[in-house]
Amino acid sequence: MLNWLLGLWGGGVIGSVLYPVVRYLAPPDVAEATTLSVSAGNAQALLPNTGRVVPFGSRPAIVLRTSSGELRAFSATCTHLDCTVQYRSDLQRIWCACHNGQYDLNGRNVAGPPPRPLDPYDVNVSNGEIVITRRS
Amino acid sequence: MTRMPLRSWLEERLPVADVIATLRHKRVPHHRYSAWYYFGGVTLFLFGVQVGTGALLLLYYRPAATEAYESVQFIVTRVPFGWLVRSIHAWSANLMVASAFAHLFSVLFLHAYRRPRELTWMSGVVLLFLTLAFGFTGYLLPWNDVSFFATRVGTDIAATLPLIGNGIVRFLRGGNDVSGATLTRLFGFHVAILPSIATALVGLHLFLVQRHGMSVPPSVERRAAGDPAAVRSMPFLPHFLLRDLFAWTAVLAVLAALSTAYPTELGTKADPFAPAPAGIRPEWYFLWAFEVLKHVPASVGGVNGEFVAVVAIGAGAAGALMLPFVAGHTVRARRVVVWAGLAALVFMCVMTGLALTSAVP
Amino acid sequence: MRGLNYAAAVMFVCLASGAQAQTAGGAADAFRNDVHAAAGLTCAACHRSGSPGTYEAPPRTAIAPLCATCHGDAAYMRKFDPQVRVDQYLQYQTSAHGRRMATGDDRTATCTDCHRAHGVTRVADARSPVAPLNVTATCSRCHGDAARMAASGHDASPPADWAASVHAAALLKRGDTSAPTCIGCHGSHGATPPGVTAVANICAQCHQREAELFRASPKKDIFEAIGQAECLVCHSNHRIESPADAWIGVQEGAVCSQCHDASSDSGKAILGIREALDRLSTAVSDADARLNRAERSGMPVDEGWLMLQESRQHQVQSRALIHGFAVAPLAKTATEGRTAARRAHDVGDAAMEELQVRRRGLAVATLLVLAFLVTLWTKIRRLPSITENPPA
Repeated sequence: MLNWLLGLWGGGVIGSVLYPVVRYLAPPDVAEATTLSVSAGNAQALLPNTGRVVPFGSRPAIVLRTSSGELRAFSATCTHLDCTVQYRSDLQRIWCACHNGQYDLNGRNVAGPPPRPLDPYDVNVSNGEIVITRRS
Repeated sequence: MTRMPLRSWLEERLPVADVIATLRHKRVPHHRYSAWYYFGGVTLFLFGVQVGTGALLLLYYRPAATEAYESVQFIVTRVPFGWLVRSIHAWSANLMVASAFAHLFSVLFLHAYRRPRELTWMSGVVLLFLTLAFGFTGYLLPWNDVSFFATRVGTDIAATLPLIGNGIVRFLRGGNDVSGATLTRLFGFHVAILPSIATALVGLHLFLVQRHGMSVPPSVERRAAGDPAAVRSMPFLPHFLLRDLFAWTAVLAVLAALSTAYPTELGTKADPFAPAPAGIRPEWYFLWAFEVLKHVPASVGGVNGEFVAVVAIGAGAAGALMLPFVAGHTVRARRVVVWAGLAALVFMCVMTGLALTSAVP
Repeated sequence: MRGLNYAAAVMFVCLASGAQAQTAGGAADAFRNDVHAAAGLTCAACHRSGSPGTYEAPPRTAIAPLCATCHGDAAYMRKFDPQVRVDQYLQYQTSAHGRRMATGDDRTATCTDCHRAHGVTRVADARSPVAPLNVTATCSRCHGDAARMAASGHDASPPADWAASVHAAALLKRGDTSAPTCIGCHGSHGATPPGVTAVANICAQCHQREAELFRASPKKDIFEAIGQAECLVCHSNHRIESPADAWIGVQEGAVCSQCHDASSDSGKAILGIREALDRLSTAVSDADARLNRAERSGMPVDEGWLMLQESRQHQVQSRALIHGFAVAPLAKTATEGRTAARRAHDVGDAAMEELQVRRRGLAVATLLVLAFLVTLWTKIRRLPSITENPPA
């Protein structure tokens, strides 16, 4: 009787060890960490002279297509006081609404208070999706 | 009845029957100090937990400076029960070091190092050093601020040694400074080199323990009128084994509770160019040495203070290793060993306490 | 008489330029670090010599024209710095200082008071009295001195007011050199207070969004009609403090209550704006507290911080939209901000829920272990007692 109980509880203990291990071994839905590279949406949907802000890990990123069709991507955190920048198609520049800071299409700070350029990211298109990757 | 053919099949090929017979006859001394026998087994159990959780972590961890922190973040946030595996690995490391020290000190105070167990003692001391090395190499792997700077400070200490110091530092760091190369190198030590050496030594240590049986402390032997056979003992199977199982399961429960109630932090990703954060400390088991280095004067008799401290600690370690050969056999000599061991233990505790209380809040 | 003027001029120059000793030795020492000395100029370039070895200080009214003989000559200056401006004297002549000096009243600033007479360094040199981090201290030497300002009918409070402003904090505490100092709004060589109608243009150089909104709003025409400076009515000019949501309202102490009261339609709009802002602010701080709690309990909530950052962005945009003085656009942005804050809060909630799940899981596992241990202990106690001596 005692042995039976011992087997029961012992089985329970072993089960409570094996269950997490088995769950752990099955790969999660998102196979890899999304902190080096993220998808930034459909490539076709990003028209020339437009930009969009997308999440990249825990910070925002901006991906834009120039009038000549080229894709560019940068960190979207303004180097002045950390506001999120946006694309201005009328100025054809990246603009920060907080204090009128402006960056050109290479991310360089060209007007207003920002002291440094925006960090650039690599952009590729894979299966119609824009993929932006941090440069290490 | 189908089980019998399997058993006889096995017995024809493996010494199953011999092993079981030996275990049936094996007896473990039972006296007022025999509770300390369990610490060896607990240390072994925790080593097993480390190998198991370490192997699981290896499935998702990436040992490169650009990916290490993110892979640990991935394990802890995205992998089912990843948080549990990681926290158990970190807590079990701490418990294993504590258990290894408890095992060493109990063996010292019970004089189990004496003839014919000298090799057991020495392999054990080397295993303790390996355990500390495991802790040191593993600490860097999450690649966060604290571990980066703790590794830099820790490896700097080797530089105090003349002639070989810089060579040792470069060997440990894979370069002149702590970098991605250090991460890869320490990772190699942590998952391949140290485990192979440790496994071989554990094998030797266990074989020797099996060969010589459990040592009986001299005072117990004297009370049994010098006759080892007169000491009370219990059968290994099932008495001691069940008690061992009890201890191991209790430790498992403690591990699970600690890992759930106090999960290990991620910290912030290491930035080699940022200034060192305030209050950099190594793990608790190195704190006493860290504190000694803080208190030693800059120059002792014209020699670099840190160097003197390192040499002193090294001498202590060498003394510990060679204990069976320097300790005497008389009752008085053994008392000296007990006092020396007590002094070392108290010293380490006091230094650790000082380090903890002087820490930047 | 001339001697007396000379002495007064020397004394005045002494006092006005602060620490420099105007003894011959002191001037020569200071001149060693001067950019003019580095360019090969000597004392005689500026000083008419009385007798060999002595140099007169020029009268104060003559200093600016003297500097301008070189600094206003483009062809000459090009030899030393092709990009340097040469219109400083022209600007000076339009300035309040220059106009007063032109009347013969020399109790006003001229070139050497700000740039030093000897030991002139480039503006970019951190030791220069007109370097960005130092320039307000230089202006304050006169404009912060109540006695001196009383003589010309000015208030001496602006420098102290500015020092209490967000712009001063940005410059002096965070080192943000884009923050305006005295010369950013008043000009340096052409220093003059901007007029009531012009001051908003100055603010608009950096605060473009708020200016855009204001100019598209009904307030622009109203303020022009009543002759009030746009930004100043609510934000002041020197002591510009960090604005708070609490400034919006019709109760005592709110800036809107200077003109508005609760009864009118505008009063209702004001209250609507305030309510939208307050609700957003509460949502953001609630989410922040929840995420902090989750993190302190050991649960990672990175996605939550991202959502919170987004809601804070909306908060910034809503506060900018105040300057449009219309409820609808602001309420829309504030609502979007509340949605983002809600999502951040949900991440925190999910983390705390997950924590409870883990604790429940631990409880189950621990109970199983305890049951096992109790049963095992019972079995151990029931084992046959160990014999005194081992079997033979």
